[in-house]
Amino acid sequence: MAEPQRCWEDVVAGDALDGFSLPLTMTRMVQQVSGTQDFYPVHHDSAFARDGGHADIFINTGFIRAALCRLATDWAGDAGFLKRLAFQMRRPHLRGDTIAVRGRVARKWRDGDNGAVELDVWIENPRDGVATPGSATVYLPSRTA
Amino acid sequence: MTAAFDVETVRKAWEGYETPLVWGRYPVEHDPIRRYCHMVDDLNPRYLERGECPPVMVDYFASAGPWPPAELDIISLVRRIPTPGDRLVNLGHEFEWFRTARVGDRLGSRHRVLTVELRKTRLDPLSVWIRTGTTIVDGEQRIIAERINQIMVHRAAGDAARG
Repeated sequence: MAEPQRCWEDVVAGDALDGFSLPLTMTRMVQQVSGTQDFYPVHHDSAFARDGGHADIFINTGFIRAALCRLATDWAGDAGFLKRLAFQMRRPHLRGDTIAVRGRVARKWRDGDNGAVELDVWIENPRDGVATPGSATVYLPSRTA
Repeated sequence: MTAAFDVETVRKAWEGYETPLVWGRYPVEHDPIRRYCHMVDDLNPRYLERGECPPVMVDYFASAGPWPPAELDIISLVRRIPTPGDRLVNLGHEFEWFRTARVGDRLGSRHRVLTVELRKTRLDPLSVWIRTGTTIVDGEQRIIAERINQIMVHRAAGDAARG
């Protein structure tokens, strides 16, 4: 059953988003290559990754942004519009990590006719904590519009 | 090339360089969307059932993909910029969207080199940071999205250790 649509009036700064976790098994790493069609070996070849100075293979940009997009668009619902997404990849999420994809409402405002909400979003791993900090702007429908 | 690397020369030659508009090899399609959602367990029916392109996939469909090689894709562009190393790591990403793309839409993109900087990292003291901008349009050349990407090019660990 579909969740009821979240409206701009419902949102309060500090609200937590429903996050999720993903174990980065070797199967998940293969899905990453399939899903992004990114065959750069640092994401699937351990020897290549170590030769480059990395501890092991790690998930790519396409995977990270897909995870953050899932977080934001699940929260925004069918009538929400993802306006902006920005993130920094400060430390890698390695094979074997279980990552946690999390977020919270930072603020909300009216952007012309749109009900805008800024989200703090991030991905953690057990070794580095928040290794991928980011932010997103989502437009939500308004009951008064 | 490492001892002779002159970032100012590279900067003058490449900052501001822009590729022409190039169309994606195929239109927005269901099956790549399904694979993309599968990797992060995304069950959103907007993408899997209703033909909406996940916003973060618009550059995927605006490109030629990994095979056969295409000269004007973003990685090919980065590879043409002279750097001491040849290893790539993405460091940051910014997307802004203006419209929603759907299955069947034809998307295209053009890329520009914004900045080239020499900046030391833990991987390599001769790391080169390249910031690019990409504009993604639909078949009517309406802007779907703008993307900024920060990539870092470094040498393999053994080469970096030799100085």
